[in-house]
Amino acid sequence: MTAAVLNRANAGPALVPVDIGHDVYAAVTDPCTAFWALVDKTRIAESLAGGPLLDAYRDKTDAFARELHALRFELKPSGVYLNPTERCNLNCTYCYLPGKQRSSGSHMTAEMLIASLDKLHDYFRSVMPEGRKPRAIFHGAEPLMNKGAVFAAIDAFADDFTFGLQTNGTLLDDAAVEFLTSRNVSIGLSLDGPSADITDATRRTWGGKSVHARVLAAMEKLKGYGSWSVITTCTTENLHYLTQMVEFFHVNEVPTCMLNTVRCTLPGARGVKPADGDMAKAFFAAMDRTHELYRESGRKLVVANFANILIGILAPTARRLMCDISPCGGGRAFFALAADGGLYPCSEFIGLPRFNGGNLLTEGGVEAALASAAFQTVTTRDVDTFSPCGDCAIRHFCGSPCPAEAHEMNGGMEKIGAFCEFYKEQVNYALRLIADGKANDYLWDGWDEGAGTTFDLCST
Amino acid sequence: MMQTVQTQQPAEITAAAKAPPAAPTIAIRKSCNPDGIGLSHYVLMDKKAAK
Repeated sequence: MTAAVLNRANAGPALVPVDIGHDVYAAVTDPCTAFWALVDKTRIAESLAGGPLLDAYRDKTDAFARELHALRFELKPSGVYLNPTERCNLNCTYCYLPGKQRSSGSHMTAEMLIASLDKLHDYFRSVMPEGRKPRAIFHGAEPLMNKGAVFAAIDAFADDFTFGLQTNGTLLDDAAVEFLTSRNVSIGLSLDGPSADITDATRRTWGGKSVHARVLAAMEKLKGYGSWSVITTCTTENLHYLTQMVEFFHVNEVPTCMLNTVRCTLPGARGVKPADGDMAKAFFAAMDRTHELYRESGRKLVVANFANILIGILAPTARRLMCDISPCGGGRAFFALAADGGLYPCSEFIGLPRFNGGNLLTEGGVEAALASAAFQTVTTRDVDTFSPCGDCAIRHFCGSPCPAEAHEMNGGMEKIGAFCEFYKEQVNYALRLIADGKANDYLWDGWDEGAGTTFDLCST
Repeated sequence: MMQTVQTQQPAEITAAAKAPPAAPTIAIRKSCNPDGIGLSHYVLMDKKAAK
């Protein structure tokens, strides 16, 4: 822990009031520790002058500062995103990988993939506690373009890794589903619309053909499986259909989805970037609809990217996604392996050669990559140190994602991400749900299993 | 000074002259060993993975 953090903690709590747009409550936060409380908005001055809230928080300030510091700066990687091929059978408008790689790139051989996992296993064993498995996620381009190598690797390392696979779903036939589900591989699909015309606006084959029906067929095969999800990338092309999208997912028994803002790392994505206000309006309408569906049916459709914001507020260390924290999880909690053996902080950087931290098999491996200037550029991006984030009351609920798009779209690591205002709105929405006692309706059942309560105050 | 991080429907916050009983303060925090590795392209579902 740095001296600055300790000094900050020793100076005592300083809470910042935040208007969350609630009828009764305002938030007060200590941005340095990610502490928050909801107080009667007509009594803010009273709450900040002293009393039970400040007394209780004063006792915890140092512990919360240490907890947040450990989460932000002391993690060791426990997961890897594996890109077993550069190729993809689709040409999505907003893809963060260069088109030439996706159309005519190379596959990783099965031998190279297995040698890579062998080396990665050695690394993870050296930094992870006994009894905890590292995660290995097969990831884009389209990993099932190299299915033979992927499946051979899953069987070769079944006892050593917890596996996941993110796929566009078009190659997920019955045999592939049987293979993956029988081995408890977590599966993520991608679909951008409730109907083909909307999906087709951003996700088609290189020849321009629709793949909507093929993804629906894959969803049908996965119904009832305990570990699958669908990602929708929100763009100008589907923003008006997000409410229909969650209705479609709910009726198709999708347990978890993500409604992600398009990542604006490469220029193609910026052409379909929605404005923050439009994104917020459509997103919250969809979130409201998921709640109605839950109340009507008793079955949740968890929107994971929003759930993660909510969890980051309620229990900072319990977050599952590591984009919404600064520094982000890239090069810290996980890293990515490209098909040529190159190591990158995150898959988002694979199209940006300057962020290559060396080769896993032919150069210094993981340790050297983590220490490389390429990785350090990402892992030292700290919202405390640049404007306007450094003065923002909610900066550790948001993290100003994503460094790749901040760098490529906004001109540097010390710039905000692409959707600053939308993130502020998400935090306000989340705090309003907490004020109304509805937060758990938006989270996975049992989301806090294994978490202990470290602060609980309800007083006048 | 209060930060307004909301960008839509700004609300005025004023002290009422004759205030009703204050709404109860809500503050909760939980903690666990961090193990998140997800990113926006993928979320790992650990639970009930068997068909």
